[in-house]
Amino acid sequence: MAAGFYREVARRIFAQELRDSNLASRDESDQYAPQYVLTPTGAKVNRIFLVGTLIEKEDIGTDSEYWRGRVSDPTGSFLIYAGQYQPEAAQFLSCSELPAFVAVVGKTSTYTTDDGNVLTSIRPESIEEVDEATRDLWVMDIAKQTLDRIRAVEAEKDPNSKLAKEHYSTDTDSYRAMVKKVLESFKERE
Amino acid sequence: MKQTAESIRDRFLKLGIDVPLIDIESRLDELITKFKVPTNEAQRSVTNYFLKKYSIPKNEFYARQAEPQLTKIADISEKGQWANLKVKVIQLWENTHESISQVGLLGDETGIIKFTKWQSTGLPDLKQGESYLLRNIVIDEYNGRFSVKLNRTSSMEKLAEGVEVAGGDFTPAARESELRNIADLKESNQWATIRGKIIQLWENQHESIEQTGLIGDETGVIKFTNWASSELPDMEEGKSYSLKNVVVDEWNGRFAVTLNRSSFIEELDEDIKVGASISTYSGAMVDIQTGSGLIKRCPQCKRALVKGACPEHGKVKGEYDLRIKAVLDSGTSTQDVLINRELTEALVGLSLDSAIAMAADALDPGVVLDKLKHELVGRYYTASGHKLDRYILADSITPMTSLDIGLLEEMLSEPGVLTEPEVE
Repeated sequence: MAAGFYREVARRIFAQELRDSNLASRDESDQYAPQYVLTPTGAKVNRIFLVGTLIEKEDIGTDSEYWRGRVSDPTGSFLIYAGQYQPEAAQFLSCSELPAFVAVVGKTSTYTTDDGNVLTSIRPESIEEVDEATRDLWVMDIAKQTLDRIRAVEAEKDPNSKLAKEHYSTDTDSYRAMVKKVLESFKERE
Repeated sequence: MKQTAESIRDRFLKLGIDVPLIDIESRLDELITKFKVPTNEAQRSVTNYFLKKYSIPKNEFYARQAEPQLTKIADISEKGQWANLKVKVIQLWENTHESISQVGLLGDETGIIKFTKWQSTGLPDLKQGESYLLRNIVIDEYNGRFSVKLNRTSSMEKLAEGVEVAGGDFTPAARESELRNIADLKESNQWATIRGKIIQLWENQHESIEQTGLIGDETGVIKFTNWASSELPDMEEGKSYSLKNVVVDEWNGRFAVTLNRSSFIEELDEDIKVGASISTYSGAMVDIQTGSGLIKRCPQCKRALVKGACPEHGKVKGEYDLRIKAVLDSGTSTQDVLINRELTEALVGLSLDSAIAMAADALDPGVVLDKLKHELVGRYYTASGHKLDRYILADSITPMTSLDIGLLEEMLSEPGVLTEPEVE
């Protein structure tokens, strides 16, 4: 493998946190540089891994098929878009039954609306149907990683945490509360 | 001057020739006093004059002259010097070049040195274990190590009395390189001795390679290559060995050791525990890379074929195999994992035969890859195995199924989470 190449790590972000994110960045000097979104807890996201419930799907394409799917997690929902350049994902969306537990690996892309809102959507590299156990594992995984990041932001541990705090004035307590709520739902189910 | 003249006379007397001292003195006097020639030059010139006069071959004369001026191996310190050595032939090596007649090691009571005898010398062969007086040999140096060369002007004389070699009998162990931990082999062209267990033997890729694979000790794992030319015995997987005098080399930042003709393999009774090399990684499988699924391998070298051709052996009739090159992702890092046929079959519940049938049915081996992706991507796994380059070569891979209740409790008891006033 060429030196310097490394695979983008698939970050774990709750839907709510991704929705709150509006700081996109990329290295402008390199047209092939990946685009990142910095989240309020300091995750620098390019690739994302999420497991949730596919609750809506719609072909919004005009000429060719262009599928939009909505995947919910305990805190909100992610929008995923798949067209002719994501044939496997598009085919999955067109054939799948709703609702279903799905695991999505994809890249985030941001769009700034006229009134300055930043919308983050996901272009899937793969979508696969999974079982409930996998979904639960993901929620645990993400809860832990979100807590780790919250602590990092409070400590301003690394450049990303610092930048996040500067940009969002992150209210870590509210994100803690979000994680807590998610975890308690587990407790109740037991 | 008188002294010089007498020493010249003495030498000629040894040859049975009595040169009148007055003749010597007058010649010396003329050179030194009249022509201002340095004494030693004058001495040589006068000597040569009488040698010519009495028709004594120069070689013979000087060879005998040299006898008292023997050099000890330990004193050899300058390249390009001529020397005479009284030595024992310790080892004869295999010849590496047609212009070389013999190569090996010589020893005396002070040390050991490499020698090379050129084909052009026309000298008879040296015999291992015999002692010789070698005259007019040249000292050479390479990379700070001295050696001696026998050339056309050299002569050899077998000695009846054996030369004592430093440290008694020479054994290979006497020149053993330093024992190193595998993790510390970080410098190429370095010699080392390692002790480790053969973790894997790989299919041979080339006829000049005897064996290649992985060897590990408590500190790490490294690739080894045993060249066919080393003529060393084969090693067995799972057994522990001491590999003496191996060379460390490096390619693309990865280190490997090579066994050569001067290496030794010794099987060990103990079972060396391979540490640190077993890596365990847990994460979500986020990708299965191309080259996974139903593949064909070259029957000779077992490499995966690309479009039906082996990079080494060209177009071959491949053998089917199943494997997965998976990417596990923990959310903070990624890890490539290689999953072999047995594990793939068990993990997906798909045998190689049914995979072949599936592919034949669809006229497309890609359906197997698709099936693997459907079954595996997006799920959490724990893989463990030896780490090699960027891969974990999986010995086991298990799906993570149950929630870590301990972790859940721990997270709930996190100060900020637990003590938070009720939300809503």
